[in-house]
Amino acid sequence: MMKNVLAAVAVFLLLGAAAYASFFIAPTDAKQGLIYRILFLHVASAWTGLTAFFICFIANLLYVWRRQPRWDWLGVSAAEVGLAFTTVVLVTGPIWAHPVWGIWWTWSPRLTSTFVLWLLYVVYLMLRTLVEEPDRRALFSALFGIFAFIDVPLVFGSIRWWRDQHPQPVVMGEPGSGMDPIMYKVLFFSWFAMLALMTLLLRQRYKLEAMRSDLETMQHELEEA
Amino acid sequence: MKNIDSLFAAYMAAWAIFFVFYLTVALRTAAIRRDLDRLKNSVARGK
Amino acid sequence: MSLLPNTAVLLGKELRTEFRSRELLTTTIVFILIVIVLFSFTFDPTSDESRRFAPGLLWLAFLFAASLMLQPCFLREQHNDTLSALRLSVSDPFAIFLAKLAANTLFLLLTELFLLPFFAIMYNVPIVPVLHWLILVFFLASLGISIAGTALSAISAQARMRELLLPLLMLPLLTPILVASTEVTKALFDRAPFVQWKGIAFLAGFDLVFLTALWLFGEYLLEE
Repeated sequence: MMKNVLAAVAVFLLLGAAAYASFFIAPTDAKQGLIYRILFLHVASAWTGLTAFFICFIANLLYVWRRQPRWDWLGVSAAEVGLAFTTVVLVTGPIWAHPVWGIWWTWSPRLTSTFVLWLLYVVYLMLRTLVEEPDRRALFSALFGIFAFIDVPLVFGSIRWWRDQHPQPVVMGEPGSGMDPIMYKVLFFSWFAMLALMTLLLRQRYKLEAMRSDLETMQHELEEA
Repeated sequence: MKNIDSLFAAYMAAWAIFFVFYLTVALRTAAIRRDLDRLKNSVARGK
Repeated sequence: MSLLPNTAVLLGKELRTEFRSRELLTTTIVFILIVIVLFSFTFDPTSDESRRFAPGLLWLAFLFAASLMLQPCFLREQHNDTLSALRLSVSDPFAIFLAKLAANTLFLLLTELFLLPFFAIMYNVPIVPVLHWLILVFFLASLGISIAGTALSAISAQARMRELLLPLLMLPLLTPILVASTEVTKALFDRAPFVQWKGIAFLAGFDLVFLTALWLFGEYLLEE
C-alpha cells in the first residue's frame, strides 16, 4: 500500500517537473508564442501512446506463443492505457489548432494517423467484448492486435505520403521541423514523465484484469460443481 | 500571455482524461473485489 | 511441396461454389452501383469535380462492398460445420487461406472491372488510355483487401454481431490501401495521366507484409 502511494507521488512530481520545464525552461516560439508549449503535452502523449501499443504488441506475440493468461492481461491493459494517451493527443490537437489557425480540426499527418490508430484499438477492445469464450477471446484479440500494430507504420507512412501530395498549411510542431535543442530536451523529459504515468496506470489496469480473471475462473468452477 | 487559456484548457483536459481513466479502473476494481468477496462468502457458507 | 496442389484443389472448390450461384458477385455489383448513384447526390457531378472526387469514391465503394462480400468467407464454413473437415484435408492450413484469398481477390477484381465502364461513363473519366495501369492498381489493392479481409473474416465468423464486426475490423486496417489506391487512381484519371510508382510500390509492400503475417499467424486463426 505504502509502495503504491510513494510511486504515485513520484509520478506526480515528475509530471509537475515536466510541466514546469514546458512553461519556464523551454524557450519562446517566435511564431506561435505561448500556445506552442502544448507540444510538450501533445507530442509526448503521442509517443507514450505508441509505446503502450508497442507493449500491447509484444504481449500479443507472447500470448500467441506461450498462451499464458498474463500476456492477455498485459495486452488489454496496454491497449486501454494507450487509448487514454491517444485520446489526449486527439483532444489537445484541436485545442492547439483553434487559437492558432482558427479551425478546430486539421487533417495534419499526425492527427489523422492518430485518429486511425485510435479507431484500430477501439475496435480491438470491441472485439474482446464480442467473443465470449476466454481463451478464444484472448487468442483472437492477440491476433488482431498483431495485425493492427504492423498496420501502424503503414498507416503513418501512407498518410504522410498523402500529405506530401496535398500540402496542408498547418504545421503542428512536427519534431523534424527545426526545433531548438532545449525544446528537444524538454520534450524528451516530458515523454519520460509520461512513461512513468503510463507504467502507473498499466500496473493498476493489469491488477484489475488479473482479478477479473480470478473471478471468471471461480464462477466457472462453481458452475461446474 | 496570449492564448494562455487554451494552454490551460489543454493541460486540464489531459489531466481530466487521465484522472477519469484512473477512476474507471479504480471503480471496476472495487466492483470486482466486491463480487470476489461475495463469491468467497457463498463458497464458505456452502461448505 | 503439398501447399500449391492443396491450394489449387481448394481454390477450385471456392470458384465452383461461387460460379454455380454467382450470388456473391451479383449482390456485390448491385451494391456498388447503388453506392455510386448515392454518391452522385453528394456533390455536383460536372466534369471537373468528378475528376477530383471520383477516385476516392470509387475506392470507398469498393472497400464497403468488400467488407460485405467477405462476410460469407468463413461464415459459410461455420454454418455447414465444414471447417474441421477442411483443416483435416490439408497438411498446411495456409493452403486454406491462400485458396480463399485467391478466390476473393478474383471476385473483387471481376466486380471492379465489370463496374469500371459504368463508373467511367457516369463520372466522365477517361479510362481507355490507362486501362492496363488501372488493372494493375485494382489487382494490387484487391489483393491487399482480400488478404486482410480473409484473415479477419475468420475472426468475425466466430464472434457476435459478425455482420457489423467485419467492417469494423477491416476498414481502419485498410486505410493505407484506401490512401494509396486513391492517389494512384487520381493520377491515372488526371488530364495528363501519369503513373504514381510510389503508390504502386506501397500497395505491393502492403500486400507482402500482410501476406507474410497471414503465413506466420494464419494457423492460429483456424484453431479449434
